[in-house]
Amino acid sequence: MTSSIRKFVRTAHITFTVGWLGAVVGFLALAITGLTSQDAPTVRAAYIAMELITRFVLVPLSFIPLLLTGPLLSLGTPWGLFRHYWILAKLVINLLSTLILLLHLQPIGYLAYIAADGTLSSTDIRLQVQMVVAASAALLALLLATGLAVYKPRGMTPYGWRKQYEEHSAPPSADAST
Amino acid sequence: MSSQTPMPPDRTTPPRMPRWVKVFGIILFLLAIVVIAMHLTGNNLGGHIPHMP
Repeated sequence: MTSSIRKFVRTAHITFTVGWLGAVVGFLALAITGLTSQDAPTVRAAYIAMELITRFVLVPLSFIPLLLTGPLLSLGTPWGLFRHYWILAKLVINLLSTLILLLHLQPIGYLAYIAADGTLSSTDIRLQVQMVVAASAALLALLLATGLAVYKPRGMTPYGWRKQYEEHSAPPSADAST
Repeated sequence: MSSQTPMPPDRTTPPRMPRWVKVFGIILFLLAIVVIAMHLTGNNLGGHIPHMP
């Protein structure tokens, strides 16, 4: 991968991942509003907006770094995808976050539906609390992934260690991956 | 940011797994146990969601 392409992919990767983080913060704000507000139109608007953010912002922003820019950046540079523990940890965090997001599509759609229908009741409180908990957990996970990308804690996998000796090449530059 | 990727100390044995990786693995394992326990006790993600027309 040439330097200019690598910079372009890295810029895209940072943009999508930071955007994902921001969208989760927005989702959390709406989930807290939906749970705590006493104003019915506000609650209704919050859950409808949550579904729109999920479908058109959260899902695309989670898939692009996971399936496109992340693997491109890792495999297109000497960092690799399975050579360093911090990259593996980021991959696991992103995979689990996306999986949990997909598992929540139906509950989010249900909340938006009953909110729009005006039939949201106290029996749905568990689901409303779950939205706040899930968004908080997602925010923590993404902050952890961001920290890993910045600090790049040391630790090479046995595979990475073996490949490094096989290649007898120079180690990668510090900012080759995020 | 950290500097260059460290070279392993010798050629015969792979480097030890860092402590932070072990902690990360333990936390992940505990989270998996919690999710499985929730599933087995009927507290699935989303709980019981009625069908929407």
